[in-house]
Amino acid sequence: MNHKHAKIIFIIFVNIIVLFGCSPIVEKNLVEEIAPVTFWSVQKGDEEKYRMSTLIPPLVKEKKRLLTVQVDLLKEGVKGFNLKYYRELKLGQLRMLLISEEIATEGISPLIDTILTDPDISKRIYLVIVKGDFDEYINSQLGVQQDLDYYLYRMFKHYDNQGKMTVVNLHEFMKALHSPSHSPVLPVFEANNENFQYLGTGIFKNDKLIETTNNLEEQIYQLLSNDHFLKYFTLRDLSFVLGHVKADIQLDINKAYSELMLTVQLDGRLDEIAREHDSLTRDELSRFELEIESYLEKQTADFLKKLQENKVDPLHFRNHTLRPFSKPLEEKEWSDKWEQMEVKVDYDLKLQPLKDIKN
Amino acid sequence: MFKKRKNTGIGNKIENSITKTKNTPITLEGLRKSIEKMDDAKIIEHQTQNSKLFVLIYVEPLIDQARVNEAVIEPLRRCTKEKISDCISVSEIIDISTLKEAEKQLMRGGVLLFDTIENQLHAVDLKNTTGRAIETSETETILYGAKDSFTENIEQNITMIRRRIPLTSLKSEKFMVGSQTETKIILMYIEGLTNPDFISIAREKIENIDYDQILDSSQLAAFMEDHTHSMFPQFQQTDRPDVCAFALGAGKVTILVDNTPFVLNAPISFFHLFQSPEDYINRWIVASFLRVLRYLSFMLSLLMVPIYVALTTHHYQMIPLQILYVLVDTRSRLPLTPFWESLLMLLTLEVIKEASLRMPTKSGQMLGVIGGIVVGQASVEAGFASQVLIVIVGISAIASFLVPNYLITKANTLIQFIILILASFLGIMGIFMGIILLFVHLNALTSLRQPYLAPVAPFYGKDWLDLFIRGPLRWMKTRPEALHPLQKWRYSRRR
Repeated sequence: MNHKHAKIIFIIFVNIIVLFGCSPIVEKNLVEEIAPVTFWSVQKGDEEKYRMSTLIPPLVKEKKRLLTVQVDLLKEGVKGFNLKYYRELKLGQLRMLLISEEIATEGISPLIDTILTDPDISKRIYLVIVKGDFDEYINSQLGVQQDLDYYLYRMFKHYDNQGKMTVVNLHEFMKALHSPSHSPVLPVFEANNENFQYLGTGIFKNDKLIETTNNLEEQIYQLLSNDHFLKYFTLRDLSFVLGHVKADIQLDINKAYSELMLTVQLDGRLDEIAREHDSLTRDELSRFELEIESYLEKQTADFLKKLQENKVDPLHFRNHTLRPFSKPLEEKEWSDKWEQMEVKVDYDLKLQPLKDIKN
Repeated sequence: MFKKRKNTGIGNKIENSITKTKNTPITLEGLRKSIEKMDDAKIIEHQTQNSKLFVLIYVEPLIDQARVNEAVIEPLRRCTKEKISDCISVSEIIDISTLKEAEKQLMRGGVLLFDTIENQLHAVDLKNTTGRAIETSETETILYGAKDSFTENIEQNITMIRRRIPLTSLKSEKFMVGSQTETKIILMYIEGLTNPDFISIAREKIENIDYDQILDSSQLAAFMEDHTHSMFPQFQQTDRPDVCAFALGAGKVTILVDNTPFVLNAPISFFHLFQSPEDYINRWIVASFLRVLRYLSFMLSLLMVPIYVALTTHHYQMIPLQILYVLVDTRSRLPLTPFWESLLMLLTLEVIKEASLRMPTKSGQMLGVIGGIVVGQASVEAGFASQVLIVIVGISAIASFLVPNYLITKANTLIQFIILILASFLGIMGIFMGIILLFVHLNALTSLRQPYLAPVAPFYGKDWLDLFIRGPLRWMKTRPEALHPLQKWRYSRRR
């Protein structure tokens, strides 16, 4: 390539970049002049539609305060924040969107769509459902815990893909929302004056929150769907705690889609026994295993029944109906068949006691 | 008043008189006139045993006095032969016929011997060869490998190369360049291996130099390079004979300049600037790792500061939250924008680097410490620069020294400034534009009319074994294809 060709190619390249990439309006993004917020909390407003809150100044070691605006539109809130604060609030580092349970039960599509269409906001933003008043919690923690927003984000980042709690980002939520195979889920937290506590997994039907898992259901959900591993599996009704539980799941749906056989091979340790018993023998251990198996079979069947009744599939069972050379089931067709399906659950538990046992 | 002064003709008159003098037949008077007002020039008259008068003319600092006594004066005093030139015990006696020739010999350390009987002038080469001893290279230091380096004595330099390649096909062509300095230039190459095009281009370029003074090899390179306005060196300057021998063996030409310890190798590519003699001493995996590290360091030194400016000015979204947390906190108290902050810190660093180079070694080290630690620390405490930038500037400065070629390190700083300006206006896109601009420029460059980006563009696959990595030597069966050598195979059995 000679000199002339190189110049021509360079000019063409620059023109392509300028034509397709450059914006004539220059946005000032000097880090010292802006305030990149890390979370938005959206709750139901008193008079207006939404009450939006965020923590300012974000990321700077200055005295913090909670900024709240009452708006009808989400972007109106952004404008409202900027009118109240001397640094321009930027959304490029928005990492968490906390939505109140009230809004979630009515449907979160309008909120999500606004977030999704904003090119500044990353699709990796974590979505969280909050039961209770999150503002109240933040206000109570302002003087107690510095950089709370940052540590909340680190918590979600830590548990992302860990299987100990449900952590979902916008991209994953939208993928699940628009997929015929499964229903979206989001983590549900409870906020009050003192605590911000994980409650369980919120199960959505389309964009509406319909159900939140209880303690046992949450553990079954994490074991069956999320990571097939639980560090501690507490069985309060039986007074047992199983440790390092690994699940190997086998799922069979018959050709007529009328029966689902769920076989779960569980391996774990018997970490804690909170009931009166003599020295642990092999027979007793076997008896415990049977007891736990039958308990889990019943609880799992009940949980699945609840999902069937609600016509939701957060455990992605529809994926098992896909065959290489056959047409996949339509969403409606699957939903009807899932509701009618007879579910059989079989647990096979292998326990290791943490202490020596008598033969 | 503003008119150009007319040529008074004084210059022409002098020139005519000089030309006239040069053509006049040699007389003792003419020679005396040539060296008048030269305090160091000596004219000594002696008689032989049979009373023949001979006159010796020489410039004292240029000759070896002991050898003159031993090889010329003493034998002549005892001489009884008819021709006095028969009495001298030196290998070569040159008969001089013109005054110009006589002056040239005189000024190159020759001793002129005037035979008054035959009225004939002879010249004997007895120049003073004392100079700096062979020392370790200071510019291309290596831990293992040969320690000798070139000196200012061109003959000694040729010896060091010839010892490494004892071949009669290693040719050395002599050129005299510079109307005033008459600098001796030696073009070396291996006949039957080096592409004849390179030899003829180099020969043509040296012959076409018309300048009064050639004092250094870099000055010669300036006249020989294809692109005068580029920041990138188009000749490899080295003072290591092993590097020269390797280059000659690969099919390059080597140009030696008298009174310069630095030798030019050509043609080179951009990638040659990242190769160190130690690459061929280390184990190939280690050498490859170090070479990759050099390329990375070059990019780091070029881009780290511009990326800092681009991210803090335009793309806060791209900064990981943990780092943004630190950046926002430190930058919120600074009076300068990231661009001015970086520009000032880079300029300060350049001032410190340049000052420590010009100072004597020990003071230079102290200056480096004071500059680096005290100024850096003070500017952070005074609130002129952020700690993050000091770290970035420090890393980028250290990274720039990993490139073995010092000339590229200097070019690097200027390129960094250009990319910095682009980054401050256009952000990451500006950085990419800068990099593209850089590669367009590199692609347009040539060294001895050979592409500067070879073997990447144009592509020579086999040469990649010694490009970004340094492959095992036994796998490098052929010489670099990009150099089009006449002997392709390195193994004698395959030839």
